[in-house]
Amino acid sequence: MRVPLGWLRDYVHFDLAPDALAERLTLLGFEVKGLERWGAEWRNVVVGELLTVEKHPRADRLSLTTVRVGPGEPLQIVCGARNIAPGQRVPVALPGALLPGNRAIERTEKMGIVSNGMLCSGDELRLSVDGEGILILPADTIVGTALTDLYGDWVLDVDVKPNRGDALCLVGLAREVAAATGGVARFPVVALREDGPPIGDVLGVTVEDPELCPRFVARRVDGVRVAPSPEHVQRRLLAAGMRPVSNVVDATNFVMLELGKPTHAFDAACVARDASGRAVLVVRTARDGERLETLDHVARTLTPDTLLIADADGPLAIAGVMGGAASEVGAATQDVIIESAVFDPVSIRRTAFRYALRSEASLRFEKGQESRLARIGADRVAELIVAWSGGRAASGRVDTDPDESAPARVGYRPARVDRLLGTDLGPEAQAALLARVGIGTEPSMPGSEIVIAAGSMPLSVHAAPGEARDAVVPSWRRDILVEADLAEEVVRLAGYETVVGKTPDTAMPHVRPNPLELRDALRAALAGAGLTEVVTPALVAPGQAAALGWPVLAADGVAGEIAIDGPAVTVTNPLSERHSVLRSGLVGSLLDVLALNERHGRGDVAIFEVGKGYAKAPDGAPAEWWRLGLLLAGSSGAPAWNRPARPYDLDDAKGIVELLARVLSRSEPVWSPYTDGAPLHPGRAARATAPGSLAGIVGELHPSVLATWDLRTERVLVAELAIRGLSAGQLPPVRVTPVGRAQPAERDLALVVAEGVPAADLAATLRSAAGERLRELALFDIYRGAPLAPGEKSLAWRVVFAADERVLADDEVDAEVARLISAAVAAHGARLRS
Amino acid sequence: MDLATLTGQLRALRDEALPRIGAAPDLAALEELDVAYLGRKGGALSGLMRGIGQLPPEDRPRVGLLVNEVREAVEGALANARERAAGAALAGRLVAETVDVTTPGRPVARGSLHPIQETIGRIAEIFGQFGFVSYEGPEIESDATNFRMLNIPPDHPARDLWDTLYVDIDGGLLRTHTSPGQIRVMHAETPPIRALLPGRCFRYEAVDAAHASEFFQVEGLMVDEGTTLADLRGLLDEFAHAMFGAGRATRFRPGYYPFTEPSVAFDVGCLVCGGSGCPACGRTGWMTILGAGMVHPVVLQYGGIDPERFQGFAFGMGVERIAMLRHGIADVRIFLDNDLRFLEQFR
Ligand SMILES: [Zn+2]
Repeated sequence: MRVPLGWLRDYVHFDLAPDALAERLTLLGFEVKGLERWGAEWRNVVVGELLTVEKHPRADRLSLTTVRVGPGEPLQIVCGARNIAPGQRVPVALPGALLPGNRAIERTEKMGIVSNGMLCSGDELRLSVDGEGILILPADTIVGTALTDLYGDWVLDVDVKPNRGDALCLVGLAREVAAATGGVARFPVVALREDGPPIGDVLGVTVEDPELCPRFVARRVDGVRVAPSPEHVQRRLLAAGMRPVSNVVDATNFVMLELGKPTHAFDAACVARDASGRAVLVVRTARDGERLETLDHVARTLTPDTLLIADADGPLAIAGVMGGAASEVGAATQDVIIESAVFDPVSIRRTAFRYALRSEASLRFEKGQESRLARIGADRVAELIVAWSGGRAASGRVDTDPDESAPARVGYRPARVDRLLGTDLGPEAQAALLARVGIGTEPSMPGSEIVIAAGSMPLSVHAAPGEARDAVVPSWRRDILVEADLAEEVVRLAGYETVVGKTPDTAMPHVRPNPLELRDALRAALAGAGLTEVVTPALVAPGQAAALGWPVLAADGVAGEIAIDGPAVTVTNPLSERHSVLRSGLVGSLLDVLALNERHGRGDVAIFEVGKGYAKAPDGAPAEWWRLGLLLAGSSGAPAWNRPARPYDLDDAKGIVELLARVLSRSEPVWSPYTDGAPLHPGRAARATAPGSLAGIVGELHPSVLATWDLRTERVLVAELAIRGLSAGQLPPVRVTPVGRAQPAERDLALVVAEGVPAADLAATLRSAAGERLRELALFDIYRGAPLAPGEKSLAWRVVFAADERVLADDEVDAEVARLISAAVAAHGARLRS
Repeated sequence: MDLATLTGQLRALRDEALPRIGAAPDLAALEELDVAYLGRKGGALSGLMRGIGQLPPEDRPRVGLLVNEVREAVEGALANARERAAGAALAGRLVAETVDVTTPGRPVARGSLHPIQETIGRIAEIFGQFGFVSYEGPEIESDATNFRMLNIPPDHPARDLWDTLYVDIDGGLLRTHTSPGQIRVMHAETPPIRALLPGRCFRYEAVDAAHASEFFQVEGLMVDEGTTLADLRGLLDEFAHAMFGAGRATRFRPGYYPFTEPSVAFDVGCLVCGGSGCPACGRTGWMTILGAGMVHPVVLQYGGIDPERFQGFAFGMGVERIAMLRHGIADVRIFLDNDLRFLEQFR
């Protein structure tokens, strides 16, 4: 809310510089987001006196003036306005002046005559909405005064929180300033002369739905002259960010800013009359199909739960949200009906959302309105209309519920307040603090109830004798409902900075496992291995999954990490189509990262992400699961003078997965061909399985996918893995295998097999054939070509055997090797390469 | 052969050998000289020794002594010369092996953690010293868990604080904050509770330099019988000092959240100007880094905790905000872009 300090001073006295006041309000919970010098834009604009006004010799529509702006020579200025005359005081923009909107004023020549500046209209200075005539200043204004000194002000932009609707106005903020400074807030005293007919003769109101409209107050002022508001009113409204309209409408806006009370003025001539000639307003919900053209000249079809102000002929206004165009107060309006009501906050909020009409009025209504303000608001608006527009106010007001309830009493226990805050204020100091915002305190009745919680989870307790006090809460403080609210009020008024911090000395919880331990360990391992971690949006384009065709890996075998291959979870109100669906996997996002970096000329990319996939389960419930994705493209590391670039290949990706498997479970994953085709290269894709701990797909992407993503690189290696404990888990402790003291025996073994025999199958055969003495089995060479026959390959293995405490004899090792060979012969038709 | 001739020949051999050894250019030449003079079969000394047998027996011991003397002299000279030659060879090798030591080393591949994750890790480490352990909750929440159980009823004006993305699941939405995790932790644990909840959040928010529609938060929750606002202040001061430096000024002021009462906004002295006021801090000298407060009794009850017996605080901070302040980042969009030129600065 914009708060012009000159206006605020009408309601409270303070001796603080604007920035000091801003800080005090911020520390009181009313954060000042901005501090603006209103009128700072009027550089080089001063008050001048018109000495002469003559017709321009060459242009009928221009005047030639001389203006005195100080002790020096009068200035000759050409002016196009018609409302000027000698003797008037006017704002003069001197050459070099800069007006609002960055309009620079220079010495110019107009039709052959030099003009040494410009006389300004109110609109040009943003001081009023009058752009026709020059702004005529009061006759006693001192010539030469800078306009900034005359009308400049400081405007605070105050962030009023949703629970403090009472402070969304100048009077409310004046109360807070008074609380902060120890001053007194002055409420405007309404002095309305009621010299019109009795209200009952000219106005009737029927509220059909008192639930949605608990109180409706109305007044009537007849014989108004609709015109611009007084200039000082226009100035205030403009400084507060509101555009002046007319004296009647401005009166309602003025009161909304002053008291926080939204009201509405109807042209009484447009309200249907009953048999006795009274205008009659009806408050009711809309009927099916009813239509209303609102003030913004949009014809709207109303839904049946819309609360209306209507008359016998139909809707006049959407209650609390926006008036109707037909009953709008305009230049021809003579008689005015003032509505000042209390509406149900939820109904107003829903209606404002439904019609996308969230106005200053609806914002205040939806925060809840103090009933008392309905009466005061009607009186104040009527007073201002009479003062600014003339007319006679009917005597009395229509009021559907004149009973103004007594202040609420909220019980609290001073000791509990101190316990919550960690302070030692005591009952008296607390009471003194509360008194600063008008909250009185009294001892509670014995056994009175203390409300701990309200709303959807209410809880009350009975206070012990002498333990509790009652806070007597002013009617405008609708936010104070439970004991904790009073604790906040106490510490707010004491100043949060008075709470002396201490490190907690209450009991520590038991040590609990860190669910992120395993995830963090893998992330650290990958970063250590040269991969860069990325974090990408979970919301992706709806077509991404289909464009990629990456399979959702259910990973049933990896406990606790199961994914659902179900329909995507879709955002129903997306900000953009590009981010409207929750992704089912990570690879598409990693490709997006590669594409972005390629666009920046960076083709060497080695990245990983630990993130979630999402889908709808068969029962419609949301499912989320964790996956680890990685992508390699370009070369492994930038080439250096001492290291050539080496393009990433499938073995790099597999090596990273093997590293992860070792970190996870000290084991190697088993590789098997992935044969399901798209989106992977049909001959270069594998499933990785480390039973119980890891499952996933590693492969080179199909060239068609690279084309879809518009990638320049020829080969992209990707993997997506389900990993046990990725969602929440710890690394198992390392179990050590005893290190034998005896020297192990090492042999090399080259086996020739058909091309179609996977190395992993041969390895599995060798492993199972070997006894417990096998320590290592490593593939160190693959050979094809002469003297082997076409379609054959030789796989060379290093095998290491050892016994625990002794050196194996040569014939023992020979026997082990022979077992391996015969197993390979039997299982795969292998022969030993000589 | 007489004594004089033989001794003369022996001395001549020595006098010839020693300068030649001294002048030998390398180990190979010394090896040749060793063979030539001392070789068991064809060596010059062996040849002379054959003359000893022709001498009268009484002269033989004297010649024997001289032979030993000559052999030792030649052997000693050879040993010295070999040592010198070996030293010279090594020195020569080392000179030949000289490289330009000013060239760059061979690069070692090293990746990096994403600054969002790195910051979450740092936050967890600081609060971990006070016994806070991480928990996680789902990102697809419901109106009940994201709002109602946090004391934000339907149609409450405070809902304006969280522009929400809804999904095509009945009552489903993308969590707008990590606060729903408070309820989950309260159900999973019994006080004393000290919990951190890091995670991804979503808002219906147009993206610009300061706003993202996907972002990360870390929520904190502490509940016990005597947990107070003063504890919150003390803990947040420790956090601010650990994260932004021991001398960093802090400020505690009222905030507003429906799920805390009292509610707190926590500021640190501006990291750009140090507190004197600049555009980055709106000329206030302060920067807000998190919101906090004492857990509202309604929320405690939804967590199954008796608000008459227990009380506690919660806080929530934007991870990107912390990372931006810590690393001097001006635009929040850079986090999810994953431009490697940005990310690799964290290596
Ligand atoms: Zn600053």
